[in-house]
Amino acid sequence: MEVKVKLYGILRKYGEGKFDRGDNIIIPEKFPLRDLISYLDIPERLGKICLVNGYPQDVEYKLSEGDEVKILTVLGGG
Amino acid sequence: MDKLVYGYSGKQLRISLDSGKVSVESINPQVLRKYIGGAGYGARILYDELQKGIDPLSKANKLIFATSPLSLNQIPGGGCVIVCFKSPLTNAWSESKCGSDFGPELKRAGYDAVIIEGRSENPVYIVINDEDIAIKPAEHLTGKSISEKIKMIREELGDQKISVMCIGPAGEKLVKIAVALSDQRAAGRCGVGAVMGSKNLMGIAVKGSKKVRVAQPERFKEAIKKAMKVVRKNEVAAGFKEHGTTGEMIANDAAGDWPTKNWQSNHWGKAEEIYNEFYNKYLIKNHACYRGCPIACGRVAEVKEGKYKTAVHEGCEYESLSAFTAFVLNENVEAAIQASYLCNEYGIDTISAGAIIAFAMECYEHGVIKKKDIGDLDLSWGNPAALSEMIRLISMREGLGDILAEGVKTASKILGKGSEKFAIHGKGLEAPAHDPRSGKALAVTYGTANRGMCHIHPLEGMAYDSGKFDFGLVKYGLVDPNTIHRWDEKGKGKSVKILQDGLIVPDILSTCKFFLYAGLTIDNYADMLSALTGWEIDGRELLKVGERVINLQRLFNIREGFNRDDDLIPERVRQRPSFGIYQDEPRCVIKDYEGMLNEYYEARGWDLITGKPSKDKLRELGLEEE
Repeated sequence: MEVKVKLYGILRKYGEGKFDRGDNIIIPEKFPLRDLISYLDIPERLGKICLVNGYPQDVEYKLSEGDEVKILTVLGGG
Repeated sequence: MDKLVYGYSGKQLRISLDSGKVSVESINPQVLRKYIGGAGYGARILYDELQKGIDPLSKANKLIFATSPLSLNQIPGGGCVIVCFKSPLTNAWSESKCGSDFGPELKRAGYDAVIIEGRSENPVYIVINDEDIAIKPAEHLTGKSISEKIKMIREELGDQKISVMCIGPAGEKLVKIAVALSDQRAAGRCGVGAVMGSKNLMGIAVKGSKKVRVAQPERFKEAIKKAMKVVRKNEVAAGFKEHGTTGEMIANDAAGDWPTKNWQSNHWGKAEEIYNEFYNKYLIKNHACYRGCPIACGRVAEVKEGKYKTAVHEGCEYESLSAFTAFVLNENVEAAIQASYLCNEYGIDTISAGAIIAFAMECYEHGVIKKKDIGDLDLSWGNPAALSEMIRLISMREGLGDILAEGVKTASKILGKGSEKFAIHGKGLEAPAHDPRSGKALAVTYGTANRGMCHIHPLEGMAYDSGKFDFGLVKYGLVDPNTIHRWDEKGKGKSVKILQDGLIVPDILSTCKFFLYAGLTIDNYADMLSALTGWEIDGRELLKVGERVINLQRLFNIREGFNRDDDLIPERVRQRPSFGIYQDEPRCVIKDYEGMLNEYYEARGWDLITGKPSKDKLRELGLEEE
């Protein structure tokens, strides 16, 4: 199945060569967010916030066909 | 050599504005090792020299401009000065940090600190140029904006490079959220500008030519090189360089860490649009606040034409852009940029100004403030045209602005009619743009920060919970942030104790906190400090100094009558957001704040009922005399 993925801020540099078509990535059915993050080579040490179709989801969340995923990292200062 | 410690001049300048007397005093080296400098040394002086209960705007208050041995341009984050004083906004301990060359110049002039006391009969400004100290008349500077004052002082002195810190018209009018700016960077929070104004002090210019004595020059050079290498390779530092602090808006909005509509929500969903417009249309370049900064997170922006036109200026940090968009529900980016610019010209704190306008808008919505009370101004949520006028009214104390200039805590008491629940503050300091419902450690850092609900000391909270920053403190007992969840409450009080002890170190060293985001740790700073002073101080000792200073600032507040009740955070901040994507998230609420506070007090060795440090704790910290 295919999901749309957008990375923000300092995460933009990750996932090189992992996108299949534009912003889209082909993943297995019920692929958890945690596995998508690891597939994109985003380091574990960075705090992450994931929105799926505009709503926050935990990393255990299982993705569905056509989901729009945004992955961001929070610095918490400034 | 003599008794002097390397890295320090061992001298402080005391300027009495009552008599015009200037004296140079020796500093006790024992005090330096215990408190180092910055907010540590400032806390020691204020605790010793201020009488309990003084009016912060009376001549009894003092301003301490403090540096540390590391206030040097070549140190990562070394371009800072800390101003310590009793706050007229909160009546509590306060410090305000300003990133600029002012700190390093003061150090080069040969002073570790400057203490300003009394009140001048007429407006003056001070010039510090090595041993030459002058108090000059400044009647002609009154009423001028901050940028005009700085320009005029430089022209008068015939020195375009001299570092100058000034107040604006708001400081002169004793607006309690008034700032002092050095170039275009503010010592922003808690009303330092009002304290300067109360002393009739319009500004300070400083320049120095002396070199700092280094105990172990080669080791010092290596320690700096090592630290710089870490920063240059760090991806967060690169992110700050590219996007400044403003770049955080998008992630924070998504994370529920973006207080919106006076804290009715923590998410708006508009940050991406707002930030992209700012970045693509109005951002000119990045800017370093002091010579030598390898990050240069400052933003130079301009609105070229139209109703919201500005000059080219440095401004629009994450906090200021958030304050003039999400806080007040304003989508007009030009109006937000102009609001931030005007605050810097009038000389008021952008965070408190945005929070006060949001408070006023909510009062307006509920009929507490009526259109006729405010010169027929439409104070509806999101009205971009209201921002500049509100900033002017507050800064000049005109009409309702005179009440609002007192800050939301006092203004809500004056206005009444239930407006207290719209006043979102801690210890009287307006809350900044991070939301503890989405990262619970922040709740405790907000509540227990000695200067109130500020944007700097919360770095310890949200950065840990959501950002997963451990700041190199796991080896000192901090629970690994990757093993905890941002929604959890249990354990956060204990973590906050260590985070605060570690993250106050940049305030004590008078260095920029962002370098701890950029990969440096307190161990790096201990290395640099040891090589410079010859002390052999390690990270653990710096943590202990941090704990000592937090406790001393706490004692200052206790002496002023603060107690556990003052460590509470507003009810709205603990409740589920009333709109946005976290509205239906059951974990996005603070269920047991008192429990978190108990855990924190226990970790600190403070009495659970009174919030006072125990005698054993004070003895352990060498504060038993207090």
